[in-house]
Order: sequence, then structure tokens, then C-alpha cells
Amino acid sequence: MPVGSAPSVRPGIPARTGESPNRRPRPGRAARAERLAPYVLIAPTVVIIVLLRLYPLLLGVNFSFTGDGDRDGAAVGFDNYRELLGDPLFRTALGNVGLLVALLPVAVAIPGLLATFIYLRVPGHRLYRGVYFFPAVLSPVIVGAIFNLLLAFDGPLNALLGGLGVGPADWLGDPDIAIFTVVGVHVWATFGMALVVFLAGFATLDPALLDAARVDGASLPRVIRHIIVPGLTRTIQFVFVTTMIGMLTSMFGLLFVMTSGGPEGSTYLPEYYIWIQQGQMNRPALASAASTVLFVIMLVVGLAQVQLLQRSGRED
Amino acid sequence: MSRFRLGPWLIALPMLLLALATIYPLLFTTNVAMKTRRDYVLDRFALADGLRWENLRTAWTSVGMGRYFVNSLLVVTASVLLLLLLGSMAGFALSRLRFRGSTAIYLACLAGLFVPFQVIMVPLARVMADTALVDTYPGLVLVYVAQFLPFTVFLLTSYYRTIPQEVIDAARIDGNSAYGVYRRIMIPLGTPALLSVGILNALFCWNDVLMALVMMPSAEHRTLMVGVTSLRGQYSDDIPTFASGVLIAALPVLVVYLFLQRQIADGVAAGSTKG
Repeated sequence: MPVGSAPSVRPGIPARTGESPNRRPRPGRAARAERLAPYVLIAPTVVIIVLLRLYPLLLGVNFSFTGDGDRDGAAVGFDNYRELLGDPLFRTALGNVGLLVALLPVAVAIPGLLATFIYLRVPGHRLYRGVYFFPAVLSPVIVGAIFNLLLAFDGPLNALLGGLGVGPADWLGDPDIAIFTVVGVHVWATFGMALVVFLAGFATLDPALLDAARVDGASLPRVIRHIIVPGLTRTIQFVFVTTMIGMLTSMFGLLFVMTSGGPEGSTYLPEYYIWIQQGQMNRPALASAASTVLFVIMLVVGLAQVQLLQRSGRED
Repeated sequence: MSRFRLGPWLIALPMLLLALATIYPLLFTTNVAMKTRRDYVLDRFALADGLRWENLRTAWTSVGMGRYFVNSLLVVTASVLLLLLLGSMAGFALSRLRFRGSTAIYLACLAGLFVPFQVIMVPLARVMADTALVDTYPGLVLVYVAQFLPFTVFLLTSYYRTIPQEVIDAARIDGNSAYGVYRRIMIPLGTPALLSVGILNALFCWNDVLMALVMMPSAEHRTLMVGVTSLRGQYSDDIPTFASGVLIAALPVLVVYLFLQRQIADGVAAGSTKG
């Protein structure tokens, strides 16, 4: 978009055409109002985004190099970061991020496959989008509360499993199981979101390719590998990044309601750690350091995405 | 599907089961909300013997879900209206007017898209405390607006770009100023986008818990989702009341979803394809 040396909106002239129709210029005041119009329209947005998004980001990074409590405001260098690395809870949180990254392909493949089947008109395909998408509009808090009920040790799921002769599992109370339970519930609640994105991607796919494959009698796995995956590269990458960001920034409600980070701190994620340190432990500077680490993780995810896009762009 | 048969039902059956697994938890919760405590303890799965509203009434009044509901409604309405107003103004300027710095401003909006609340939670809480906005409705509204404005501006900007230039030219020739074009062209022609973005924002704000928790610490200011989190400790031995509270919080979303499913899904899809 070209940036003019002066606002190019003049009275009575369409903003984009540039060619001046035969109109008399209006009096000076109206002309000035017109020249200022874009700034008036954009000003509130700029003020809000700069003051309440971008400035706090800098403030937070700055804050992470100061102390808490007695050392409030004093520069402490990397002390907070050192403390973070030494804190078993934060290390668990980072380890769980690693687990999320490892589970990411599964969380992307499930909605991808389901969208493929819906696109290929599996029986009942009209029904599925609306049903699968439904949990995605529910708050994580509601989802968490419902699953608290279902997964309680003396709750319905264990009663059901007991009826089938399978021993009860402590879904939310066993440190080895709880994080998988929470991630599973998160995937249950959000796969519909990715599904809708995949279906939007399918709408851009050239149907002629599929028809050709059909005529050639290609099998489903081959169709997926040679037509759908290459055709949806951008969509798949978009889903990868948004799913990862979702796992890093929208599981707080589930953690808060389902496990409160426990048992034994096994379900901590960075966002939960930040909240605990800021709100409960009164360690805002330490929380800021954790925030900065989370932001760096997200930047890395974002940049990895850009890399991938560029590489696939070269291959095309 | 004719040639990819692999037995379509082999796929359809698991998909049907998954569909059931998707809606069953809420059905179960609804059923529990209709039961007495005794019924629930005796048999969790049996259908309630009719519609029983006592639990819902208890949750609404004595648990306080009614008050939280009104709090949420106020905050969400104000936030969405403000988001649509500011977002459409900025979207119009960025898509249709040329001015110095527009590219930089557009990029700043995009950057705002990638700053999650968790990352700026601490400094933001401090700014809110310093300006006496913490624990006030305007404060929470402002935080919601700041959180979802980048996304709103982004979607509305790309929608406004699709409005034909001829329509705008015609309005200009009729003597409309930039504000006139905004009011008489962009707002009416942009209604579908405003509706779609508005619903998404309403869902985001309604469903939020972290921002409300940090910005609205006092009990009487609780939003509905914060209210749901407080059910856990208080009503963990009264499951039907617990389920009723959850149901009250889920019901508005359920109703909105039943009527506006298409707009919501389209909004999500638009966000992905424009990106």
C-alpha cells in the first residue's frame, strides 16, 4: 500500500481513484475535517492497541528484570529467569509444553481426517459439521465443569467402566494420567474449530483433481497423500499454528476448574504458572519472566511457521 | 464418494459415535440438573422423572448465578458494541482511505493479534490498578476491547475491501464526506460482517474466565464464568445444583449456537482464509 506524503483524501474526491472529477473544492473547514477524517476514525483503535497491548508487552519484559517483595523495582538482572529454571513447577510446565508439541500432530490429524470424510460425503455428512463444532463454542470453564462431573473418581465414567469390568482410573487425581485427561478434554472441545477451518480449505480445492482420481480408481489413502495434503498445505500449516497457540493460551479455564495445576503440580502449563505467581503468590516480577518465556515460545512457533511457509513456497 | 467406498459405513459409524460423544456430556448435565440429589446418588444415568426446576431456581437465586448472569450480560453487551464501533471505524479507514502511516498502523494491529493476554497480564493488571479501573465494569470492558480489537479490525478491514469501489464513488459524488460514506455505505453494506464478528466477539467475551478473574477480583462483580468456577468448591457434594449452575452458563451459548451456527462457523472460516 503506497503511503502518500500527505493525506490524499480531498473533499468530494473518491479516496482511491485519485482522478479528480469536475467539482468545486469545498470551503477550508470542510476540507480540513475531511483530511483529518482517517485519523479521527483510526485514533481510538491505535490508542487502545498501543496502550493496552504493545506497551504492556515492553513493560512486562522490562518488569521481568526487576525484583519482587523487598527488592521491588530494583534491577536484578536475570535472577527471575534463573529462579524459573530452578522451579520444579515451571520445569513441569515447560515439560508439558513439550508434551503438547508432541501431541500436536494427533490434534491436527483428527479434525483433518474427519473433514476429509465430510468433504467426501460420508453418510450423514450434512449433520457432522454442526454437531462437532458445538463444544468449540462452549467456555473451557463449562467444559471443565462438565468433565469434572463425568470423570470424578466416583463419577459416571468409572461407574460405566466398572460395569464393563474395567477397573476405575483416577482421571484427574493420578499425576501420571491427569495431564493426558486435560489435554484429551481440550482436544474434544476444540477439534470442531480446526474442522471448520479445514472444510473452508477444502472449498478452495479443485474438484477436477478429485474427479480425475476417482476415474483412475485411486484409493483413499492415495487421494489424501497426493491430492488433499498438497492442495491444503496452507490450511494445514494454519491449523498447526492455531492449534498450538490454542494449547498454549486457552487451556487456563480447563486447568483452573479440573485440576488447579495438580495433582502434585503435574498439570501446570506456563499460563497457569503465570496466574499463580501473579495472583496467588504475589510474585509479579517472576510472573513477568514466565510471561516473557511464554511469548518467546509463541514467537518460535510463529517463526517456525514462516520458515515452513517459505520452504513450501520454494518447493511449489 | 462412489469410488472411494472402503465401505463408507465403516467410517460413518465411528463418526456417528463421535457425534454422540460430542453432545452427550451436555445432555448428561441437563439430565442431572433435573434430578434430586437422592436420584443422582441412586442412579446417575437414569432419565430424570420429569422436568424439575428447583435446582435451576436454587442455582439462579441462592447460588447467585442470576446476578453473575446480569453482570456478564452487561459487560459483554458493552464490549461488543464498542468493538464493533471502533473496529468498523478503523476497518473503514484502513481499507478505504489513504493516509500517512496507514501501513504502519495496520501492522501494529496485526502485531496486537499475536500478543495473548497471558503475556501482558502482569503489567496490564498494574496499569488497571494505577488508573483505578481494576474491579470496575469499564475496566473489564476496556480489557476485552483491547484483547479482541485487533481481530475485529483485521476481519472488518478485509470485508470492507470487498465492497465495490463504484458504490463508494457514487456516494462521494452525491456529496458525502468520509463520515457520510462510513455511515451510509460501510455500516449498512457491512452488516453481515458486523453480525458475524459481533457474534464471535460476544462468544469470546462471554466465555472468558482468565481476564475476568484477574480484573474483577471481588465477589459481587463476578461474571458468569467466574461464578461457574466457584461452584466447584461450594457444591461438590450437591451435584444437581452444580449441574444446574453449569447449565445456566451454557444455555445462552446453546441458544445462540442453534440459531446462528452458520454465522459462527463462517466467521471462524473467514478468519482462517483471510490470514
